Amino acid sequence: MRLLAVIDRDLKKFRRNPVVIAMSILMPILYLVILGNSFQGKLQGLPLAVVRDDTGQSSRRVMENLRAIAAGPQTFSIISLKDQQEAIAGVKAGIYKAAIIIPADFSRKVAMQAVPEIGLFLDNTDGISAESIRGAVNGAIRAIKTEYVPIREKADEVRLRDINLYAKVDYFQSLVPGVVIMAIFLGALTTGAFNLVMDRFLGVDESYMLTPLSKMDIVGGLIISGLLVTTCIATLIFIVSILITGIPFTNWLKQGVSVLVVIVLTTLGLLSMMFVLMGRLSHPRIVGILSGFLNVILFFPSGAVYPIASFPHWLQLFAKVNPEAYAVHALKTILFKGTGISSISHDLAFLACFTIVMMTTAVLSFKRTVR
Amino acid sequence: MTQKNIAVEVTGITRKFGEFTAVDNISFQVSEGQIFGFLGTNGAGKTTLIRMLTTLLRPTSGQARVAGFDVTADPDQVRRSIGVVPQSLTSDLDLTGYENMDIYGRFYNISARERRERIPHLLELVGLSAWADHMVASYSGGMRRRLELARVLVHRPRILFLDEPTIGLDPQSRRVVWDFIRTLRQGDAMTLFLTTHYMDEAEALCERVAIIDSGKLIAIGSPDELKARIPGSDIVTLKVPQLTNDTVEQIGKIPFVHSVTMEENTLRAYVDNGAENLPLLIETIKADGLRVVSATLHEQSLEDVFIHFTGKSIREETKKVNFLIGAGIPQKWGR
Ligand SMILES: Nc1ncnc2c1ncn2[C@@H]1O[C@H](COP(=O)(O)OP(=O)(O)O)[C@@H](O)[C@H]1O
Ligand SMILES: [Mg+2]
Repeated sequence: MRLLAVIDRDLKKFRRNPVVIAMSILMPILYLVILGNSFQGKLQGLPLAVVRDDTGQSSRRVMENLRAIAAGPQTFSIISLKDQQEAIAGVKAGIYKAAIIIPADFSRKVAMQAVPEIGLFLDNTDGISAESIRGAVNGAIRAIKTEYVPIREKADEVRLRDINLYAKVDYFQSLVPGVVIMAIFLGALTTGAFNLVMDRFLGVDESYMLTPLSKMDIVGGLIISGLLVTTCIATLIFIVSILITGIPFTNWLKQGVSVLVVIVLTTLGLLSMMFVLMGRLSHPRIVGILSGFLNVILFFPSGAVYPIASFPHWLQLFAKVNPEAYAVHALKTILFKGTGISSISHDLAFLACFTIVMMTTAVLSFKRTVR
Repeated sequence: MTQKNIAVEVTGITRKFGEFTAVDNISFQVSEGQIFGFLGTNGAGKTTLIRMLTTLLRPTSGQARVAGFDVTADPDQVRRSIGVVPQSLTSDLDLTGYENMDIYGRFYNISARERRERIPHLLELVGLSAWADHMVASYSGGMRRRLELARVLVHRPRILFLDEPTIGLDPQSRRVVWDFIRTLRQGDAMTLFLTTHYMDEAEALCERVAIIDSGKLIAIGSPDELKARIPGSDIVTLKVPQLTNDTVEQIGKIPFVHSVTMEENTLRAYVDNGAENLPLLIETIKADGLRVVSATLHEQSLEDVFIHFTGKSIREETKKVNFLIGAGIPQKWGR
């Protein structure tokens, strides 16, 4: 069969390029490791300088609370200093993210029920760190006052804990769907239509445009070989990510099959889309530019890293037509809610429609003529 | 000539790229079993023409029937009947020579058994048997071209299109390709359509030649016919002891002799169709009781024909092309 010959040719050529195979597998996994470690949802280990000029009861309690944060959530690590000027200069020089200065009259003011003051110097050029520290320090100081208003605050805390309906998902685990989608995106980009672009660039395309291969043979064959390669890579990456992050599987078979269905449908959709976008290109450099752009507009508004609900309205509208958003949603549902196909039927329906529209356009817009 | 034994029939074919006309209203026919050559300088429109005949480019106007099928209306049937070796090298670098041929055969639905029998034989024919399992990336340009010439025969095409089959090849590889093309002609009644900018190639291989210049068909015919159309540029030099003015005058009056000069006992005549007329000249001299001790004939080459018809030499252009290819610039750019 002609179609099989197209697939076979493509797969043979792929196998002969071990560097490409290694890169396609390694990059998404590296992405998981780097993204997972670089900002773990909450910030950790920010250097905080503390100058304590007061030796009283209350300041000791503030220090205890700060040390508790440094030991627990590890938002910051404490560096004790003697000299205020040194601490402030350190913040300006970027050695510390913030400096806390507890003045000599702090405990006395607390005891006198006056307004006690603590100096907090923030490096507000780094907004995210500054906000984290401000929040944590506020907590440490407010804890002193909770002695006076205990009931309401405690009630709040209890309610917060009850919101976790599902097994707790840590930040690392929440990235897994995004990493799988990234693997699919890279696979769909570097197989399928890209091989056509490379053949055209190398002038090799004429050798099969001149044969009786039909449009369907050429487009279909390249999409199928791309699907085989990309599905294998994405599945492998999925398994490795699960092992790294330790997402608990309640039902291996049900969840596994559902994940595979999502991977296959998403891959088909993206491969077809690439064919529509790149089917007539003849220079790999254009693909390079296009891929950077596509990755940004598809991946970041997909909900893989930031929740879609936090997007501005117009970006949420875009997420409604973004196939990667549906894929991410489907994977998150399967992985973190432990449900099967039925709960993601909406996502699958969209992905199926997207694939059909793109594949039809790809075959129709593909031209066998050279120019 | 009946419709049946015409392999390629082109009527008023034209291709424009924007305002520029690359192929300008060309008509011709190629009979089945012929080696037909299109001769023209770089940029004359040869590749554009071959691409229209092989369904890669749509004609702007005009028609072409290849193997009895219209190239625009029935491109699929045309593709099934022909084999094409394009100007640029098109074998896959990261497949072996054998794999390249095997996949190609599968594109034409050739059975596995036939492929297994035929491919080693074809590789043998182009001297690549020892290289069958090497990656094409390790082949030289000449080897790749030979592989592609073998590959195009896997599906036994009725008509073979070769676009500049020896461009950029060293003289030795050119010889191999020439011999190969001649072998094809001997075997099956295959029609060969080739383009070239090498005069000697057209002269050595082609039974009929068409000269194309700036997209226009300038002349068409067998190499001999074309040469015969240039008046008096064959030079016959005869050494005749005791040559007389009378004899020279007499020779000057013969219709096919355009002019004649005499230098001591050497006679030089500018004649039409020198090869055929040389014996007549010698007889005329003998009739005067004189003796011809030596005779040389400088026949005009196709090169002279080309200059005659186009008013320019093909040499300079050719050098430029070879230089570009030697410098490793993709042949695609030289089109
Ligand atoms: N796609 C194209 N767009 C514009 N001009 C083209 C295109 N293809 C060929 N040409 C021009 O058409 C002319 C004939 O080219 P070509 O058929 O490749 O010549 P040849 O094969 O005889 O060297 C050249 O002047 C070339 O620049
Ligand atoms: Mg050409």
